[in-house]
Amino acid sequence: MSERLQRITAIVRADFLIRFRRPSTLVVFLILSAFAYLWIPDPKSGRALIVIENARALYNSAAIAMGTATLGTIFIGLAGFYVISNALKRDVLSRCGFVIASTTMRGSEYLLAKFIGNVVFLSTFMAGYMVSSMAMVIVRGEAALNPFVFIKQYLLVVPPAIVFVSALAIVFESVPWLSGKFGDVVYFFLWTASLGIVASNMEQGNGATWIRYFDFSSFGFLFQNLKDTLHTTQLSIGGSSFDAKKPLFVFSGLQLTRDWIAPRIGATLMPISLLVIARLFFHRFDPARVRIAGEKAKRTWTGRLNALAKPFARALFALGARGGGSFLASARADALMTITAFPLALFAAIGFAIASLAAGNTGFFTVTLPIAIAAFAIVIADIACREKRAGTLGFAYAAPMLQARFVLWKLTSTLFVALIFLGAPLVRCALTHPASLPALLTGIVFVAAIATTLGVVSANPKTFIVVFLTFWYVALNDKGTSAALDFAGFYGKATPFVVLSYTALAAGSLALAHAFHAAQLRRA
Amino acid sequence: MLQVESVSKRFRTGNYGVRDLSFEAKGGVLGLLGPNGAGKTTLMQMIATITRPTSGRISFRGIDIGAKPDELRRKLGYLPQDFGVYDNLTALEFLTYFASLKGVHNRARVNEMLEMVNLHSVANRTVGGFSGGMKQRLGIAQALVNDPDLVIVDEPTAGLDPEERVRFRNILSDLGVGRLVILSTHIVSDVESIATEIAIIRQGALVAFATPEELMRAADGNVWEMVLTSEQFDAMRRNLQVSSAVRKSDGVHVRVVSQSRPTSDASPAEPTLEDAFLHQGRAA
Repeated sequence: MSERLQRITAIVRADFLIRFRRPSTLVVFLILSAFAYLWIPDPKSGRALIVIENARALYNSAAIAMGTATLGTIFIGLAGFYVISNALKRDVLSRCGFVIASTTMRGSEYLLAKFIGNVVFLSTFMAGYMVSSMAMVIVRGEAALNPFVFIKQYLLVVPPAIVFVSALAIVFESVPWLSGKFGDVVYFFLWTASLGIVASNMEQGNGATWIRYFDFSSFGFLFQNLKDTLHTTQLSIGGSSFDAKKPLFVFSGLQLTRDWIAPRIGATLMPISLLVIARLFFHRFDPARVRIAGEKAKRTWTGRLNALAKPFARALFALGARGGGSFLASARADALMTITAFPLALFAAIGFAIASLAAGNTGFFTVTLPIAIAAFAIVIADIACREKRAGTLGFAYAAPMLQARFVLWKLTSTLFVALIFLGAPLVRCALTHPASLPALLTGIVFVAAIATTLGVVSANPKTFIVVFLTFWYVALNDKGTSAALDFAGFYGKATPFVVLSYTALAAGSLALAHAFHAAQLRRA
Repeated sequence: MLQVESVSKRFRTGNYGVRDLSFEAKGGVLGLLGPNGAGKTTLMQMIATITRPTSGRISFRGIDIGAKPDELRRKLGYLPQDFGVYDNLTALEFLTYFASLKGVHNRARVNEMLEMVNLHSVANRTVGGFSGGMKQRLGIAQALVNDPDLVIVDEPTAGLDPEERVRFRNILSDLGVGRLVILSTHIVSDVESIATEIAIIRQGALVAFATPEELMRAADGNVWEMVLTSEQFDAMRRNLQVSSAVRKSDGVHVRVVSQSRPTSDASPAEPTLEDAFLHQGRAA
């Protein structure tokens, strides 16, 4: 084996071990497996994994594999990116990057190794998810498990997304102004937009052949297959309701026709070329270039807005930090710390306040509120784990009550941020739709509780971002069809039972976080 | 062995990290002394080929490392300041990883290094649970795993307890034979017993480059000892360069670096390296 290949193998192996030994990986995997269970409901419940023109597909290996592979691809796009987009940052923060830079390793070699590390991690993750989906054939299947059919469906659907997300994660980490929270948000909207473009093009039948080469989500391939085999593009995947009177249809699986071979291979290989962009921006751990990258990041429009908002955030902090050493004052100070650390949140809060006043009823509930809550989720993601990550947990524990009531402190702090960030939408809801207020309040508390729990348990803000944005995406695409997904009453479908269920989930997750925290204190 | 010729590093902000710095180091342990922010880390990063000088030339064994960085990188061991670890890897996995990056694929060499830094008994424990000293020892093991000719260690004893500092110092002093070890610190006692040459840097410029003995000789006649009352000491401390002050029952025993006798009852004292360092700073 050549020296270069050995170095690349070493990096891939180390990244693999580091990621698979992280508790957050296990958390995300368990959640994804739980999603598999939810996405493949018992047909007796009136819902099924795959529904085409109101008829459900028989639960055979091909149907379950195609359905879960497609949902898995969405998950890779949304969650996978956030899970893997710390490969370079880890080496910068640990300063192991300096040691790497002092070896003969080329920058391109390093980026290629990190990219392969991403691909290997996501592939292994998806293989695990595929196995848990196979188990669902045994649990809910209506035909025998056929592993080869399963593997074929996954191979047809998943690889382009894995390669695309892996390469894009390296690009986002290498480009200074895309490597932070702003990049996380940009990526989210980029991926959700890209999901639809190819698919809608194919669905409308006006897709040029070349666009198939950009079908990283495989949605175009999926729709074309459905058109060719079932003569429809009306497909619903993931726990959709169906008409039980309609006969079952047997899905025999996606087929790779001759005209799709080159586009599939192209869509899998083309993203690798993105690494050239990454190489152009990669600093190879040169401290002078890392410093410049930081300065350039400050010169982007978000950086400028952040700088502009900083005096207001500081004034707010100075104002709020007064008022003694009570538990509430500590929580308030922590909340203001969040705003001070990310002053742009102030502008966002003002923006959402204006949008809340200006939007019509439908727009307010289905556009303004969901976006405001997604932005709120990104702002609060690191509240519960920032002390642990910065090594300042000891300072917090030295303050009265905070060690024993850490989970409550972080939850209260998050709710204070919610008041600042979502105060205006809440007032608007209370004034115009008071009946929706309990659902909205519950939704906000639920988001705050899950952010706190995942922050405490995984010590990584990305775990919450991944889990919540995936859930948010599923809930929004459901458009209120399932009352159970209307967690904040966006579609007015949240029944009192749903509201109570989310309250119970929030309370349960906080109890779990507290138990985890107490166990950690006992171990320390 | 190592030649640094008129090297400067200017950042985009216009500030200089290092300015027109020149010296030549032979073998042994070169102690790089200077206060925080003096430019030690920038100089070491340039020698370690992590960042390039804005001007000047650095050569190792006659090879210009700016033009041919890989020539040095093959023979280089580097331990950066505040070196972190990958918490989820075991000591063995961590060291094997860096060994592979440096082209060392000999498992015996990795084990030998773990034994050298006394971590062989915890080789299969994840390094996240290691103490600061253990992590630093693992850091020095990775720096040495390729048997380098040039070893650069940046502030390796920062944050270590006294016992770990002594242990680390002993490891470094054994390394100086047949190679060049560059050790940066702002703690004089770290280099006092092991450095064969010392470079003192302040504000990016080289203030002195000499053996410890030469530095101490240069401070001869400039170090004074005296016993003062607390009031006298409080009044004089602002104007004097105090090397040490110990409060005892008969007063404050003060050691001062000064060109002239500070008080009539001050007696001349034999300079230590700490005194020499202060003396050089005064001279600069």
